[in-house]
Amino acid sequence: MAQGVLEGHPSSDGALILSINGSLDTTSTGQAWRRALQLITEHQPKGLIVDASRLTYCDGAGAALLLELRRRQESRRQPYEIQSLDPAYRALLDLYGRWDAQRPEPLAPADSPVEQIGRATVAVWRDVVVLIAFVGQLSSALASAARRPGLVRWKDALLTAELAGVNALPIIMLLGFLLGLIMAFQSAIPMRQFGADIYVANLIGLSMLRELGPLLTAIILAGRSGSAFAAELGTMKVSEEIDALTTMGLEPVRFLVVPRVIAAVAMTPLLSVFAGLLGLIGGAVVMLSLGFPLVTYIIQVKSAVTVGDLIGGLSKSFVFGIVVAAIGCLRGLQTKSGAGAVGESTTRAVVSGLVLITVVDGIFAVVFYCLGI
Amino acid sequence: MVRREFNHQVPIITVRHFTAGYDGHVLLRDLSFDIYPGEVFVILGGSGCGKSTLLKHMIGLYQPLKGSIHIEGKDIVTAQGQQRLGILARIGVMYQQGALFGSMTLLENVRLPLEEYTDLPGEAIDRIALMKLQLVGLGPAAYKLPDEISGGMRKRAAIARAMALDPPILFLDEPSAGLDPITSAELDQLIIGLATHLNITFVVVTHELPSIEAIADRVIMLDKRTQGIIAEGRPQELRDHSKNLWVRQFFNRQVEAVG
Repeated sequence: MAQGVLEGHPSSDGALILSINGSLDTTSTGQAWRRALQLITEHQPKGLIVDASRLTYCDGAGAALLLELRRRQESRRQPYEIQSLDPAYRALLDLYGRWDAQRPEPLAPADSPVEQIGRATVAVWRDVVVLIAFVGQLSSALASAARRPGLVRWKDALLTAELAGVNALPIIMLLGFLLGLIMAFQSAIPMRQFGADIYVANLIGLSMLRELGPLLTAIILAGRSGSAFAAELGTMKVSEEIDALTTMGLEPVRFLVVPRVIAAVAMTPLLSVFAGLLGLIGGAVVMLSLGFPLVTYIIQVKSAVTVGDLIGGLSKSFVFGIVVAAIGCLRGLQTKSGAGAVGESTTRAVVSGLVLITVVDGIFAVVFYCLGI
Repeated sequence: MVRREFNHQVPIITVRHFTAGYDGHVLLRDLSFDIYPGEVFVILGGSGCGKSTLLKHMIGLYQPLKGSIHIEGKDIVTAQGQQRLGILARIGVMYQQGALFGSMTLLENVRLPLEEYTDLPGEAIDRIALMKLQLVGLGPAAYKLPDEISGGMRKRAAIARAMALDPPILFLDEPSAGLDPITSAELDQLIIGLATHLNITFVVVTHELPSIEAIADRVIMLDKRTQGIIAEGRPQELRDHSKNLWVRQFFNRQVEAVG
């Protein structure tokens, strides 16, 4: 083994002499630190003498080692001595050693599982309360916007409509088409065994217009725009822009949330029409490939799907649009400070958006069932 | 205040024919100056004259259009790979807002460079990190998050992090900006103390005259119009004897207004 910076040998009176040969800096101290502790464990000395006559350089890390050895010896009430230390390094040791006695308060221990469950429950409850309050705020802001449309920032609403609606059209159309295509293809194979493959048209028509079109649109909206709203408003919150609005007397919900919700509400049903239409086209491609003429497919779809189904799907989209935009904005406004906060609120916006979409979809299913739609 | 004398033989930082700018627009033209070990060197100038730009070039964040910046004899402009890391290990930087990592406690912030760059055992790293925090007076706040402390404390914690690896050179970007006069004066005292006791070279960008008066051993003054250095020397000398009337007025008027 190569000669280290720190070596030790016992003295005649039972003390351990640690001699330093070279530099104690951030790169060499690690090895010296381990060696020193190892030697102390091996020898269990009564006293410790550090011979610093050949110490060429000492920085904060070296000082930390010398102070740590002193602390250990003091806690065992054993003698400690540093010999031939350069006055400059002595001054360094005095500088750092000044605070040696004081230690910061350690962190409070982590909560027990019971406490954690309790806290999580309270947090969920508070979130529900905040959500209800926000729904109230938003409703009143939307109502006043309906009374006085001049107060709405239409420029922002149009811009958001373009970002959340027009720009989402290609992905909505692509996914709608593929969904229709895949669904038709997957269902055609088992249904053909019963000679029921013409009913693939009913399946595609009903599911795309009533259920999957709106749902697909809402999920894409949550992923694309709900997260974008949360990130945008979250960044505004972190940079105190929201506070600036509030102190100017401009209610953030009216100023920021209402235009986004209006844009989302206007765009979601439109997008879901496109999703449904492209789904039908995807289904048509499969049906044509199975040998059915296009006119048969269209007549079959028309016989299966009523206007009620279409309106049901569109009304769902309408509510999905409100929910996704509102929860995105709410999570943005709830952003705390710090670099990770915006990321956290974006995640929460998407997750809450998806949960709420599912809940709303379930409620619609029950309502439609009761109304017989 | 007692001024310290320095060895003006071997500069620790040498800047030669430095020209910098963005998008083809030149901001600073043909700057040359030296910084000597152990001095507090202040880069001074009005807003938008390129002080922070110069600093960011000196710490290797940006590439200059022309010229060289030697830190301890090695050119940070052309250095690559290990050599560049070697230079970076010799400097510490305090950014204007502190730039502490928000998800870590102060102690973890100071521990980070030690964990990444040294083979010190965990308890040694803890001990050194705590020592640095104590040095800047933040020992009791070691387990706090950056969000939980004041702006002045954040800047001090940032200095502690910059000092984690005991670099001989510290760069400070606007240390007194946004601080109240008392906190700002405390920070000045800390800088003087570190320069005196640990012989650290400070390169400080600022436009706060009281702070310059307190800490600077030497200043250079940048000017937006000429895109270069219009004055270099000790602040008192510039205030009383500068050949440039504008520099003299600048120092005196501000000092009178503040003092």
